[in-house]
Amino acid sequence: MSTDTTTASELRMDPSSSRPPARRGNPWAPSLHGVGLMTSIELRRRRPTTKGYIFYGILFALVAAICILAAVFTQADRSSANFELVLILVLGVGMLIAPSLSATSINGDSGEGVLAPLQMSHLTAGDIAFGKVIASWLVSVIALVALSPFLIYTYLSSGWHLGEVAMTIGAILFTVLAFTAVGLAWSSLAARAVASVSLAHLTTGVFLIGTLVAFAIGGALVTEDTGERDRYIDYEQLTPDAQAALEEAYTTGDYSTLDAADYPCVDSEWAYTVTHTDQIAWILLLNPAVMVIETAPIVDPETWEKDGRAAPGTFALLHQQISDARLGPVEGEATRWVYDECDDLFGSGAEAAEMTEEEMEAQWAADEAAAAEREQQLANLPRNPWPALGVLAVLFLGSMTIVVRRLRVPYKKLRSGTRVA
Amino acid sequence: MTTTIEAEAPPYAAIAVQGVARSFGDVRAVDNATLTVPAGSVTALIGPNGCGKTTLMLMLAGLLRPDEGTISVAGHDPRTDAAAVRAAIGWMPDQLGSWDNLTCLQTLTLMGQAYRVNKADARARGEHLLGRVHLEEFAHRPARVLSRGQKQRLSLARALVHDPQVLLLDEPANGLDPRSRIELRDLVRELAGEGRAVLISSHVLAELDEMVDGAVFMSKGRTMGDEAAAMVAEARTKYRVDALDRDALIAALRSSSVPLEETDTGVILRIDGDDNAADALAWIVGKGVRVHRFGPVGSALEQTYMAMNEERR
Ligand SMILES: Nc1ncnc2c1ncn2[C@@H]1O[C@H](COP(=O)(O)OP(=O)(O)O)[C@@H](O)[C@H]1O
Ligand SMILES: [Mg+2]
Repeated sequence: MSTDTTTASELRMDPSSSRPPARRGNPWAPSLHGVGLMTSIELRRRRPTTKGYIFYGILFALVAAICILAAVFTQADRSSANFELVLILVLGVGMLIAPSLSATSINGDSGEGVLAPLQMSHLTAGDIAFGKVIASWLVSVIALVALSPFLIYTYLSSGWHLGEVAMTIGAILFTVLAFTAVGLAWSSLAARAVASVSLAHLTTGVFLIGTLVAFAIGGALVTEDTGERDRYIDYEQLTPDAQAALEEAYTTGDYSTLDAADYPCVDSEWAYTVTHTDQIAWILLLNPAVMVIETAPIVDPETWEKDGRAAPGTFALLHQQISDARLGPVEGEATRWVYDECDDLFGSGAEAAEMTEEEMEAQWAADEAAAAEREQQLANLPRNPWPALGVLAVLFLGSMTIVVRRLRVPYKKLRSGTRVA
Repeated sequence: MTTTIEAEAPPYAAIAVQGVARSFGDVRAVDNATLTVPAGSVTALIGPNGCGKTTLMLMLAGLLRPDEGTISVAGHDPRTDAAAVRAAIGWMPDQLGSWDNLTCLQTLTLMGQAYRVNKADARARGEHLLGRVHLEEFAHRPARVLSRGQKQRLSLARALVHDPQVLLLDEPANGLDPRSRIELRDLVRELAGEGRAVLISSHVLAELDEMVDGAVFMSKGRTMGDEAAAMVAEARTKYRVDALDRDALIAALRSSSVPLEETDTGVILRIDGDDNAADALAWIVGKGVRVHRFGPVGSALEQTYMAMNEERR
């Protein structure tokens, strides 16, 4: 049985064999077939164990309990609060599960010795990277599907339109996808799963909480002092007679009997600060949760009923807060009336003090109108999810670039402290 | 039989390695490796733990970039055509890894699909390979229930899903029971018979002896070239002869001034080839010596391995 086989093409193992197509170079780009296959491999092999199912079951029960409690304790009329709560839970669960899974995906596989055989196959680095990120991300999509009964039920009374729901859920899923990719990148960089999982959650924390902290700290930098002076009558120096006369005047409201000379005035200076949040609102806008809120529909505090909406819910109120930060302090608010007791009693203010009931009511109405106008302005300020969306897109693409580069073989450098196999 | 095959035509060198080196930090895992593996033959890679066998195989497989030297696998250069190199190779790693909750057949089918074989073909091939490594009864059981030796065989089957021309087997006999070792030996010979080039690293030298056509010895990251080959060839000419009357045997040989090495029970002679061995036995028996044992001395590879390690000391 001597073989005079000298060319590779003649080699055949058995009739049932089919040689894979020839390849050239060292491609890395993902392909539809490769990504699909890798995703299905990952989903099958990461099927939860019994313990995993128990964990997911508890998580689901917890979330379901929150939803049911919220539904029970809110009044029956139109309200978007519950729907928004479910959306936040979907975001929270997604951000918790998907990055945890992806963060053990590469170093875990490599430790188990199942990564290198895949790298040997026709799957490219891109196939493996995108297959893994999609498989982990799909788990949070499954969580969304599991919560969909609550989502649909609360949606019915939320006053949201279907297109708006799709947009916000899209934003949530994109956020989860970006952080899943970040988790995967950490797992391609760190040798140990503990390290990559903590780094993944740390990154999530930096964006969710760190931006709020940075916003608060940044607030101190854009705060300026505006001096405010008050003037009071110096009670310490009043003669008992003058004091009695003043008390009398306060009860009658007739100050004309008092002699200004009897009442010495003191100045007191207060530090009064204005924070120009408009200069640092962009930090707030980088927060993914803020971004999700910023994709929610605008609810006008005046016309919501006519518009067929529910009363401004959590998201709408938070949008007002965010808008308040974006717009900064009201122009001219720094000239808030300085309290001057002496002037009120004896100067030009004396007339103001004698405002009639109608005049005072008009004044209040004007104040109220100004506040309502401000609220209108805040509520209707165009939404701005773009900074966070941009950052998430950069995170996603950057992470995937890292992963693809780290998965390409032949390796030049290994993750320190690891072997190929 | 393991006689060196006289090549009529220059054999197609499926693997050609020249002066390859690779360091990890300041550990020089492979210092200078040079070897060729012709198509249709089995070459052993032998050396003590940590001498760089796995690292060399990783570089051949296109998983690790060499610092120096040139490699050609199935006519492709891993520096420019790493994908072609990987596609030509069936690699059985020394680290056992399997997808625990997938069945053996699913594993092989998915792996075949990863090589772009369509699903039906990949499944058929998976079934065929499970038969070849005697794991048919585990086809539909999850890989986690397999014993170490069975995982080893699944790993070998996995290396064959894409019908590769070159096989790199990293310590495939580890953890195999004696019967499986013999089956492995036969399978490896069969695979070489189909025209594949096989490079196999192992510690079980006695087993290797009967399946390899050539051997490459490695020590401290270096391949020992011709001197080791000469030592193996020399070791293969050694015959042990034991007689009931040891002194009579020695006297008979001495009288004809045959060079010999004395042992406790007889002598060791150098005989080149089967014909000469038959003649030598007939001659000794003709001298009236009652020979009760006549045959090659143990494992040639083991002798060489031991001799080399002695040299190192
Ligand atoms: N990834 C790695 N990082 C650091 N050192 C390594 C790595 N891989 C191998 N080595 C070292 O290189 C040497 C050769 O290792 P290896 O090729 O695994 O030996 P063998 O397979 O012959 O037992 C050993 O000293 C080992 O410690
Ligand atoms: Mg090894």
